[in-house]
Amino acid sequence: MLLSASNIVFSYEERSTTLRGVSVTCAPGDFVGILGPNGSGKTTLLRALGGLIRPASGAVRLDDVGLSKLGRAAAARRIAVVPQEIHPAFDYSVIEMVLMGRYPHLGRFALESPRDFEIARAALAATGTLELEDRLFSTLSGGEKQRVVIASALAQIEGQPGSYLLLDEPTASLDLGFQLEVASVVRKLAEERRIGLVLSTHDLNLAAGLCRTLVVLKAGEVIASGPTADVLTPALIRRLYGVESEIAPHPRTGRLVVVPISREAP
Amino acid sequence: MSRGIRRRFIFSTLGFAGVALAVILGAPLVGSTSIDLRRVFDSSIPVSENVDAQIFFVARLPRSLAGALVGATLASAGVIFQGLLRNPLATPFTLGISSGAALGAMLAITFGWSFAIAGITAVPLSSFAGSIGAVAIVYWLSVARQRGLSTSVLLLAGVTLNAFISALILFVQYFADFAETFRTLRWLMGDLDVSSFRPIVVALPLAVVAFAMFAMLPRALNLLSLGPDSAAARGVDIVRAQRTAFFSASLATGAAVSVGGPIGFVGIIVPHLVRLLVGSDHRIVLPASAFFGAAFLVACDTIARTIMAPVELPVGVITAVLGGPFFLWLLVRR
Amino acid sequence: MTMRTRPRLWVSLRFCVFAFTLWSAFSITSASQQPDTHPARIISLIPATTEMLFAIGAAPQVVAVGSFDAHPPEVQSLPRVGALLDPDVERILSLKPDLVIVYGTQLDLRQQLERAGIQQFSYKHGGLAGVTATIRALGARIGRVQEAERVATDIESRLTSIRRRMAGRPRPKTVLVFGRDRMSLQGIFASGGVGFLNDMLQTAGGDNVFADVKRESVQATSELILARSPDVILELRSSIDPDQAAAERAVWDTLAAVPAVRTGRVHMLADPSLMVPGPRVAHATELIAGALHSRSRGEGGGRGDGFNAELAENAKKRFEKPFASSALKSSLRPQPTSASEGR
Repeated sequence: MLLSASNIVFSYEERSTTLRGVSVTCAPGDFVGILGPNGSGKTTLLRALGGLIRPASGAVRLDDVGLSKLGRAAAARRIAVVPQEIHPAFDYSVIEMVLMGRYPHLGRFALESPRDFEIARAALAATGTLELEDRLFSTLSGGEKQRVVIASALAQIEGQPGSYLLLDEPTASLDLGFQLEVASVVRKLAEERRIGLVLSTHDLNLAAGLCRTLVVLKAGEVIASGPTADVLTPALIRRLYGVESEIAPHPRTGRLVVVPISREAP
Repeated sequence: MSRGIRRRFIFSTLGFAGVALAVILGAPLVGSTSIDLRRVFDSSIPVSENVDAQIFFVARLPRSLAGALVGATLASAGVIFQGLLRNPLATPFTLGISSGAALGAMLAITFGWSFAIAGITAVPLSSFAGSIGAVAIVYWLSVARQRGLSTSVLLLAGVTLNAFISALILFVQYFADFAETFRTLRWLMGDLDVSSFRPIVVALPLAVVAFAMFAMLPRALNLLSLGPDSAAARGVDIVRAQRTAFFSASLATGAAVSVGGPIGFVGIIVPHLVRLLVGSDHRIVLPASAFFGAAFLVACDTIARTIMAPVELPVGVITAVLGGPFFLWLLVRR
Repeated sequence: MTMRTRPRLWVSLRFCVFAFTLWSAFSITSASQQPDTHPARIISLIPATTEMLFAIGAAPQVVAVGSFDAHPPEVQSLPRVGALLDPDVERILSLKPDLVIVYGTQLDLRQQLERAGIQQFSYKHGGLAGVTATIRALGARIGRVQEAERVATDIESRLTSIRRRMAGRPRPKTVLVFGRDRMSLQGIFASGGVGFLNDMLQTAGGDNVFADVKRESVQATSELILARSPDVILELRSSIDPDQAAAERAVWDTLAAVPAVRTGRVHMLADPSLMVPGPRVAHATELIAGALHSRSRGEGGGRGDGFNAELAENAKKRFEKPFASSALKSSLRPQPTSASEGR
């Protein structure tokens, strides 16, 4: 029931390689954070895990079956991807957006059944957006949009044991309030539904607070991976960003907090 | 609003189909001459003496059906191109198909080509060949660098090809005399007076193939309009969907243009009007646009041939006069 | 957007519409400036005026012609300096003309000539009366009054004689088609109720079914032709391949209810003079008269009795062998040539 990437090598252009032999594993109920500075290959790794790009070498496997063999629709029933932002070219209603998640479950000419509507509403409820059902997606706030897209992803993998949700910088464009809102939705999903979550972010505190496991990328290579508390050290922060920092559990929440102190002298 | 997709689909499709049927059948009854329907269907009068029947069956009915075919095709091709290019302002002509067709037609008119295949004459044949040529060039450009179709390259290639072919057209125009130039101009404004069922019968198989391919696309188009990654992540085989969309819509557009000329605005205002009425779900928008496009173009053509009778306006003028302001309103409204 | 992606095409085509509208709207011929001396270097950009110049003996004065000018044969050796839409101004100026005959709508060219201080003679197509008026005006302008008078009077007398011959004969209702898509009934353009084509048809003894449309051209749909039920359909071409003539003529059979089709009075008339409102108009009118009243299957009107048999015979020859040179000797100097439409 694992989603695993082994020794992924990928490049968008011939000259520069984006991923140089990256391996990640996620099990149902796991919460893996992919951490790294801008341009380190986080999004590309996420796209590879979702089967959206074909690695030059290495393979992504779901239950030990290669994604490329599994087929697009079969993979999509188990793995949903939430991109950073979605800008639909046309104005869809919220429920329509969520129902689009049912694509891999429907035959070519099939229309959504009442069961699909139930699933869609349940997904909206799970992300606290059920009351937005009939609104137009374009009229929503950033946080609402992100939650609706997550609901759509949930509808996509609903009812499939051992499914995975890949979130690409889910909070990057949100303000603090929405960040916390989305974070709490996501945490609940991992805890209550045994969905495997993989989340890419460059927000150290978000990763520290949410993820149980971290994979740290720099220039397309894994420089550290393992349980969050073991990986997230001042030495790592120095190596990643050249920044001196302190890392300590927060007195009230108990989660790790990274406090940057100074830019290391060159 | 979004409940009962099946009911919405059935109501909308039947409703628009009803409107289309009424307009298509009603249009042949109207015209610059008044005809007596009883005489039209009176089989005791020999055809060669029955002017009313000839006006109905030679002049008006083929014209109405040609309008329906061209309108339905252009409107649904517009829907497909807008979804494929993720651009609500795309039209069936955005990618240079109409320029290619215009170049073909212009060559045929200017150099007086008079060959014919299956009773289809040089101008429509050349225009179809021209549109296929333009489609092939644009496709080749857009896949030259990557496996899938890049929509941004498609758009760029299409717009550039449009400009390039327009220059070629001006070059060909240099060889045309005044009357030929004028006839080319008229061709560009569209003309549905086919005077025979043959062009319709020949274009129909192409349209049927294209519509069969369209039928597989609506859900993929819904997802494609979220972006290729989002679509792929939800299980859409985007390379196949984009290729199907591109070729089916191009084929349909080429066929429609060869029958009626590059009639503008149908491919953009019909899809938008339909979306205003039934929302954005392509499964509902596509059939509704096909029917409404047919009704719209036949109605425009009826206006074109009656409003200043006996002089006839080009149907493209009517679609533009109705479509232009509507389109501006659409832009301002957003 | 369609409009956005074809801007140049649209601009140029709009100009064509504009020019055509003006062409249709006016029917005046005018000499624009008073001559001090008679011009020695003339450029004519329009086929009709070029023919007029040669007809009134101004050949030695003509130094360049328009790109569509094909008659008389002498023009083949003259420099070409563009035409209505694309006059080559540099070329024109470099030839140092002292008179340029321009079309009335060539506003840019006219301004440039004015700035260069070059005299111009502005011309616009009109009716048949305009042809002789223009010939006289041109004669006066270039100092060939007598020759012009002779040519104009000759045209007028020949037209009068045609008119006289046709008087009292049945006047068939006619569609005069001057443009049509090859092998199809689309893009049919016919003469409306004004202009030299309409005048030639009237003179030749036909009634224009589109006489009520006060324009030079009508786009005639199949419905319009069915509704107007012409007795004769007369298609004018500059030239036509004899093999094609029969096939093109058969295209009309679709409209079986039209009297002209039913009675076999659909005629393809091919001659380079037919589309040029120049000194050959009388000749062209005779051709039209011949075709209008030629023998036809199944109808009595316009046959034999009192009809100029030679005329009919010649018209028939012309139809059958459009490239044969001058079966019909024109009294005008220009011989009918095989020079074809366009280039």
